[in-house]
Amino acid sequence: MNAVLYWTSTIAKSAYILVFPLTLAFFLAWAERKQSAVMQDRIGANRAKFLGRPFLGLVHMVCDAVKMFVKEDFVPDSGHRVLHTLAPFLAMFFALITFAVIPFGYQLTIAGETIGLQVADLNVGILFIFAMASLGVYGMVLAGWSSNNNYALLGGIRASAQMISYEICIGMTIIGAILALGTLSMQDLVIRQGYHYFGWLPRWGVLLQPLGFLLFFIAGIAETKRVPFDMPEGESEIIGFNLEYSSMKFAMFLFTDFIETVLIAAVTVTLFFGGWQIPWLFESGFVWPWGGGWEIHPNVVNILRMAAFAAKVTFFCWLMMAIRWTLPRFRYDQLMDLGWKWLLPLSLANIVVTALVVLLVN
Amino acid sequence: MGSATVKLTIDGREVEVPSGTRVIEAAKKLGIEIPHYCYHPALSIAGSCRMCLVEIEKFPKPAISCHTVAADGMVVHTDSGVAKQARAAMLEFLLANHPLDCPICDQAGECKLQQYYMTVGQYDSALLDNKVKKSKAKIIGPHVMLDSERCILCSRCVRFTDEISKSHELGIFNRGDHSELSNYPGMSLDNPYSGNVVDICPVGALTDRDFRFKVRVWYLDSAPSICHGCARGCNIRVDYLTRRLHHNDGKRIARFKPRFNPEVNGHWICDAGRYSYKTLEDEDRLYNPRVTDGNGDNPGWNAITGRIADALSSHISEYGVGSVAVIASASMTNEEMWAARQLFYDGLKIEKIAWRIPPGPDDIDDDLLIRADKNANTFGAEQIFGPMTHAADVQQVLDKIAEGKIKAWIVLDRDLSPAFGEEKIRKLTGGLKFSLYAGSHLHATSRSCRFLLPTAVFTEKEGTITNFSGRVQYFPLVVPPLGDALPMLEALSRLSAALKLEPISTDPGAVFTALAGDIAHFKGTSYAELIKRWAPISKIPS
Amino acid sequence: MAVQNIIKVAARRREATLGFWERVYIFEVVRGLWITTEHFVGNLYYHILKLFGIIKVHPLTPTIQYPEEQRTLAPRLRTLHRLVRREDGSPRCVACMMCETVCPALCIKIVAAEGDKPQIEKRPKSFDIDMGRCIFCGYCVEACPEDAIRMDTGILDIAAYSREGMVLDIDTLLSLQPAQRRTDKEVDELQRRLLQ
Repeated sequence: MNAVLYWTSTIAKSAYILVFPLTLAFFLAWAERKQSAVMQDRIGANRAKFLGRPFLGLVHMVCDAVKMFVKEDFVPDSGHRVLHTLAPFLAMFFALITFAVIPFGYQLTIAGETIGLQVADLNVGILFIFAMASLGVYGMVLAGWSSNNNYALLGGIRASAQMISYEICIGMTIIGAILALGTLSMQDLVIRQGYHYFGWLPRWGVLLQPLGFLLFFIAGIAETKRVPFDMPEGESEIIGFNLEYSSMKFAMFLFTDFIETVLIAAVTVTLFFGGWQIPWLFESGFVWPWGGGWEIHPNVVNILRMAAFAAKVTFFCWLMMAIRWTLPRFRYDQLMDLGWKWLLPLSLANIVVTALVVLLVN
Repeated sequence: MGSATVKLTIDGREVEVPSGTRVIEAAKKLGIEIPHYCYHPALSIAGSCRMCLVEIEKFPKPAISCHTVAADGMVVHTDSGVAKQARAAMLEFLLANHPLDCPICDQAGECKLQQYYMTVGQYDSALLDNKVKKSKAKIIGPHVMLDSERCILCSRCVRFTDEISKSHELGIFNRGDHSELSNYPGMSLDNPYSGNVVDICPVGALTDRDFRFKVRVWYLDSAPSICHGCARGCNIRVDYLTRRLHHNDGKRIARFKPRFNPEVNGHWICDAGRYSYKTLEDEDRLYNPRVTDGNGDNPGWNAITGRIADALSSHISEYGVGSVAVIASASMTNEEMWAARQLFYDGLKIEKIAWRIPPGPDDIDDDLLIRADKNANTFGAEQIFGPMTHAADVQQVLDKIAEGKIKAWIVLDRDLSPAFGEEKIRKLTGGLKFSLYAGSHLHATSRSCRFLLPTAVFTEKEGTITNFSGRVQYFPLVVPPLGDALPMLEALSRLSAALKLEPISTDPGAVFTALAGDIAHFKGTSYAELIKRWAPISKIPS
Repeated sequence: MAVQNIIKVAARRREATLGFWERVYIFEVVRGLWITTEHFVGNLYYHILKLFGIIKVHPLTPTIQYPEEQRTLAPRLRTLHRLVRREDGSPRCVACMMCETVCPALCIKIVAAEGDKPQIEKRPKSFDIDMGRCIFCGYCVEACPEDAIRMDTGILDIAAYSREGMVLDIDTLLSLQPAQRRTDKEVDELQRRLLQ
């Protein structure tokens, strides 16, 4: 591959993988208001107007951004100034870096060269995700500690306890998926979900690992620290680790939540819903299970696949938002009960059963 | 007949009264108030309102209790069906032409018509005819306004002008429902007691022009006090406002009303005393301690008493104590005079304490209440300052200042300019090395002094005063002093402390006890007893 | 002790009323999601119709777009006061202080003055209502012997930038107009809406 194409494609991919979650997160912040309103028979934010029109409430997002930028950036006198400033950047960084191993498409062929639609095709991509997600908790803990505020510190500690509890579950369910699909590479995981049972039923991870999906999704929501698992920040009371944050630093924590929502949705899609796969769509076009098919140019196929990935991620974002606006918050003991007494044993059982099945089938 | 007392039964209770007593008074003795408008114990009996109808057994019809003389064995029912019906019918009759003026009437709230309608009236009006229109808001004198429509023709005011003030300004003219109270042509209700007709008017026909629309009476609180207008010491009721100070032009004292005391003033007070409340909170009040030369604005009590003490001590050491004179007000309380004597005579050894100013040529004793001496406590001053001072007359002090023998004066709450002329006072004070004024108001005398201490007016302090006949009367604090003003007793006490002299108590009771132990006139009188007896009558010392 | 008992009883009751499938929770979550999703989809449908101008009013959303839209006020609702004028334009108020006296919030301050016309003996020189203190009890209206004060302006959005700004003076109070009188049909419609 020539160097020019290599670098341009890499930069373009990086840009895509940066812009995609951020854009989606932006719209999630909007959806937080509008979706909840629509669910609750309300109208939702519509007072901020541009040229006399509210643009579905999107003007509010711009206003929010302006507000966040111009507000006073407050650091507690007795807090640790450096760590206090570093914390939101850490949180956001680890949330964004994880997208590097997410395959958002298969490959494009440009000027005879094949470009894999993934920023870093690590052969241990899944472990990378695991590692980065674990590091993300440092943002919260540092934020809580460096604020020198009891409430914030307790929020940080709640965050770390919750993240550790649920990361174990995430790890265990991922192992189940890996066992079932037999690879650690993210791209391979998706490729292996492209087969069909009986010629028509897509072999998506959710079929192989229904319990695994459920456990992963629940733990994933817990990882995003949003309702019903929002004890770390106490969103409705703002009495969590981000208590002493204001202006853009607060906005970064807020945004991190939305990026993590996108991330969990993306990982869920990749592991359990076929990633960029579209049922019956192969490299050369659609092949209908009842015979016949459509011939489509491979590049168009891959663009369709990228769109499919985006659509799937958007759907899961919607679902997580719907859950967030449907369920009440758990009590902290219930949260711990759920994590340690239900999710962990179930995921362990899932591994054992999966391993046995894999052993027997092979 | 012929016996000194008669026994009669009123509402089933027996009562013994001197013969000749009217039934209404006999009932009062039993604590039964018979509704009445025209009857007034100090006036002759008119029997015109017919409101005091009672049922008397063996009488063919209800009889007016104000005119019926109590007789032996009489059985009176004030609460029977006949009496009640008679009263209600009488009230309806009186109200037949009474306008619905209550919202704008100053009497509302203390109106006998309202009061009796609620207690003995409560009928449904059967009146179909239009009410008779008469003149409204007619000015009949400098202090009194007449609303003929509201008048129920009880003639109390007419009898007052005939019998008490003997000025005969008022009369009732025309006949039937056109009868109308008015002043005689060419006469104005301007006798010195004209305000009393407002007090005795049971309805809102005669109202006070001065009090007009100032404040509704139900916002007022009342306290008993003693008028400081002249040496009579009339017993008064002070009506004052504590909340809603947007009424009454923001002033707390709204009016003076007479308080019944048969041994001093009866039911009346003079107009001069009635309207003397205006000076209590006028714009000339001194609110803060001041030094009139140099950095003079409000140094505060502690600083100014210290400066006064320094200035006075250095003056005495330079010119001698003989160059200092005290001019006291003869309106100060007995306690304040005693404290002034302690401070200036016993403490500083000042022997010239002057208080006496002869009355002006216009001031004369009249045969009702007014005294020529316009100071409330001249008698007390004679008793307390008299024995020790070497200059009782203010004139003497002024002469000595003119001669240059007196170089400093201390004026206690007194304006000398009305008696001696502003020019003279200003000229004399120009030559003084030290001048201190402690008093309630700013005027020509106080403005020419160097140090000014604000003190309370009489409604803002408690104490006793002695009237011209030697009667000691107690009056309580009504409202707290304005601004930084303090009662004179407290001001003298602070001055004494700053001069490092014998401490002076700020408690009038304690000072009075000390005073009563020393001055013969007050011997055997206790402050507590004065307080206990101030409301009805105060004690005449033996 | 008592509190612990209450907690125990509450826990027992909860356990008694919840079946196994409810306690598993996951199915209840799905059920709850189903309800919210139903609302979401239904509302979204009408929102889209409204967005493209096919319908004017969203049938499922009770939101009133205040202040552009305002709900019909009940005919007897007590709103901002106004002072009524006589036929000749002068205030009806005679400064009798009944309202000031009866006001439990002490928000009315009247200063009386001699009337400025021969037929008016007493008039209010100033008449201030501190809307910051008013509790809208309507006693002033009840107490007024002259029908001079009414609370029928229909104005409810009373706001100011300072406490002093909340004090309405006599000129303001006299300048206020009564709210539009509603027809019987409107009142019926209103009652129907309120009873829903």
